[in-house]
Amino acid sequence: MKIVIIGASAAGISAAKTIKASEPDTEVVIIAKEDRVHSRCMLHKFLGHERDVKGISFIADDFFETSGITWLNNTTVIGLDTQKKTVKTHDNQDISYDKLLIASGASYFIPPIPGLRESKNVYGFRDLKDAQLLDSECNTAKNAVVIGAGLVGMDAAVAMMERGLKVTVIEMTDAVMSLQLDQKSAQAYQQRFEEHGAEFILNDKVVSVDVDEVGRGKTIHLASGKVVPADVIVIAAGVRPAFGFITGSGIDTNHAILVGDDLQTNIDDIYAAGDVTGIAGIWPNAMKQGRIAALNMLGEKRSYEDRYALKNTVNFFGLTTLSLGNINPEPEENCEIFICEDRHNYQKVVLKNGVVQGVIIQGNIGGTGFWQYLIKNKIDISGKNKDVFGLSYADFYDQDQQTGEYRYAV
Amino acid sequence: MKRIIIDREKCDGCLNCNIACISAHEEGSNFYTVNMLSPDAETRNFIKFDAQKGYLPIFCRHCDEPECVLSCMSGALEKDPLTGHVQYDESKCAACYMCVMNCPYGVLKPDKRTRTKVIKCDFCDDKVDGPSCVKACPKKAIEVKEVSL
Repeated sequence: MKIVIIGASAAGISAAKTIKASEPDTEVVIIAKEDRVHSRCMLHKFLGHERDVKGISFIADDFFETSGITWLNNTTVIGLDTQKKTVKTHDNQDISYDKLLIASGASYFIPPIPGLRESKNVYGFRDLKDAQLLDSECNTAKNAVVIGAGLVGMDAAVAMMERGLKVTVIEMTDAVMSLQLDQKSAQAYQQRFEEHGAEFILNDKVVSVDVDEVGRGKTIHLASGKVVPADVIVIAAGVRPAFGFITGSGIDTNHAILVGDDLQTNIDDIYAAGDVTGIAGIWPNAMKQGRIAALNMLGEKRSYEDRYALKNTVNFFGLTTLSLGNINPEPEENCEIFICEDRHNYQKVVLKNGVVQGVIIQGNIGGTGFWQYLIKNKIDISGKNKDVFGLSYADFYDQDQQTGEYRYAV
Repeated sequence: MKRIIIDREKCDGCLNCNIACISAHEEGSNFYTVNMLSPDAETRNFIKFDAQKGYLPIFCRHCDEPECVLSCMSGALEKDPLTGHVQYDESKCAACYMCVMNCPYGVLKPDKRTRTKVIKCDFCDDKVDGPSCVKACPKKAIEVKEVSL
């Protein structure tokens, strides 16, 4: 059997590994537009010169050779023939498959702001290529502007601060990382960034960019009337699933490629995993989807149930935070909010009818993995009769007598 | 694969396993010389106490389908296909801590001092006679056993 995988990030590589571990004789071809495999979660380490290109790889150097995988890099897929079961590439190859996994990820989006899309010095921060282009800009640029203070924007900001640039972050909402943090925990990061030289302009948005005679955006105008000078601009305003090449193939989409619990699309033998499915745009889930899609392509009947996406960890300047679920409930949701803090820690638990809706643990996050299990499985903790901040896996302790693996007693 | 099998009824919470773990990861120390006050003194196993259930030893299971490995974006955590143990390569780790978030049993933790690495059981795979915690347990509440995957 021949399995073709489009995409070489979390989902694609995880699928390839799974296939080769289970059935080494299966032929695997990976097609990717990138030059080399890299972890996009480490792009800031590359841009900040903490790691080189090799240092942000998440596979062994000889991964493709030792696992016998055909690696078609710098190759863009431009079309799909579901009748003949072939994939067409930009260099006019028709690559046949028995089963196909679409793990083409997502791509960033430049908002239609006058001057912004036209500017030659505007970059996303998604792939190694973006980071490499930004890297050379950072050699000469003095003022950097980051549009969007989400995790990606903050990653880009911290890397450019490392490089000695004056970084200004512009954000529409009233706080940094507003999807992951509340006011208090966001303030802790903003303060650390400011201490290291960053400037934040919150509650404001870009209305236009003045482009100079060589096509570079030099002056950014904000709704408040503020004007920010820029030598380089990073746009971190979100990403969208990338699947333009399936147009006309008959695969069902709705802003993402639609898949069933088996991660198969509506077309037999075509599966999708990772950001392109829009299920959960976070590395661990993409890895798990890649694995489950791979097992199903090999004939197993696995179901992907881990659709819980509201989770993240943050680590800047040694301040670590775990964020899960609904952490900023509206008053009409009638949630109970518990807060526990000391000099080094801030913890917040959002409860509704005994079920944890969300948590923020800032500071010591050791041993906090159990919270995700409680939240995504909607486990009622009211019967525990215990201070929420004293909970741990021990309160749900159970073991499989045969294998010694832990289970949850609920 | 080999796994540390826990008989929690036998545990009396002496924490010798904690000390053995810290010592095993402090170069050149033994049970008597280990510096428990060092900021790097970190145990990879825990014992919780519950008023009803008693002592609850929480040790890395080196799970069959390890959530920590599936969450690792740097390739630092890998399940060894031969031993079945989840091994950690500190030089690859980028300290994103998605593994801490993803361990359903709350075993993994960032290091206290630098927040640049993960503290994770390595099954003392570099030691010929197996996990130090097991050797240190006076009650045989933890024992290495072969389990089928």
